[in-house]
Amino acid sequence: MTAFEELVARHRDRVYARAYSMMRNEEEAIDLSQEAWVKGWQRLGQFHQESSFGTWMTRIIINLCLDQLRKHKRQRAESIEAMDEESGGVERQMPVLTVNPTAGLERGELRQRIDQALGQLSYEHRMSLVLHEFEDMEYKEIAKTMGCSIGTVMSRLFYARRKLAALLADLKNRDSV
Amino acid sequence: MDYNAQLKLQAWLDGELPEREADEVAQWVARDREAAALVEELRITRGALAGFNAEVRLPESREFFWSKVEREIQRLGAPAPRPARATYLAQLRRFLVPASAVAAVVIAGLMLNRQPGSSGGSVATEMETALADSAAFIYRDFSAGTTLVWLSYPADNETAETDDMDTFE
Repeated sequence: MTAFEELVARHRDRVYARAYSMMRNEEEAIDLSQEAWVKGWQRLGQFHQESSFGTWMTRIIINLCLDQLRKHKRQRAESIEAMDEESGGVERQMPVLTVNPTAGLERGELRQRIDQALGQLSYEHRMSLVLHEFEDMEYKEIAKTMGCSIGTVMSRLFYARRKLAALLADLKNRDSV
Repeated sequence: MDYNAQLKLQAWLDGELPEREADEVAQWVARDREAAALVEELRITRGALAGFNAEVRLPESREFFWSKVEREIQRLGAPAPRPARATYLAQLRRFLVPASAVAAVVIAGLMLNRQPGSSGGSVATEMETALADSAAFIYRDFSAGTTLVWLSYPADNETAETDDMDTFE
């Protein structure tokens, strides 16, 4: 148990960061992190060092977050069609940004803006972005994790990136007014 | 620019295109300003996210967080993790099962190579079970010069409908 405590201490920030980036809620992210560590303990016998321990734990938290987000979605009774509508073409019409909306921002400020912008994305779009940018997953792997096609992953990623760029530009414009 | 072309640019930026196609897109981006602008915007978004995640910290002390995890593990009576040795034993077992079958066949073969009667026996027929495995039976008829070996193992992932029978004369 002492050795496991050490592992928790070493990887707890990484596990929490993943939960937070997906859930956008501090309390929920802490609860899910705790659940992930309990599951990690229960399944320790299944860890065969095919990946690093940190990566293995990250997969556990990702799956827990996905389950939780699906529950949220069911509760909100959002339909897949509604989500598709949301992303159906909007990003194609957005004008391409010519000015970098993050230029000149301090680290803390940039972090705050990204945080805000990520919070405005739907969970499917945020998830695609998180898994690709933070977990370095390939399209195929994201599709498998999220249970959708590679084409859907590409569309979601594209929408998420373009929307994020637009949101960051919007925040910049609001600040300069 | 159509939607598929936009997605292709993104796939190129993400390194998801095969080499030949990636070269074609690189040439296209070099000569098309609209494509180059979109790629640049996608790059900016990627750049903004880089390193963002590394700064997130669990807002609870090590001791407090661990005490919650430990309490939950104890409450659930979670089983202690299996020792790694169990995995090696399982692998060893996977090796030993087919190996013992092979050993049984080898033993049977060695016994068949013995000359009939060389052991001083004068029995015309003989039925025996291979020592290493009771699933292999040997029937010998010295007068007819016939030996039958029954191997009753089903092949891996296969149900044996009839026992395999090999004849050595």
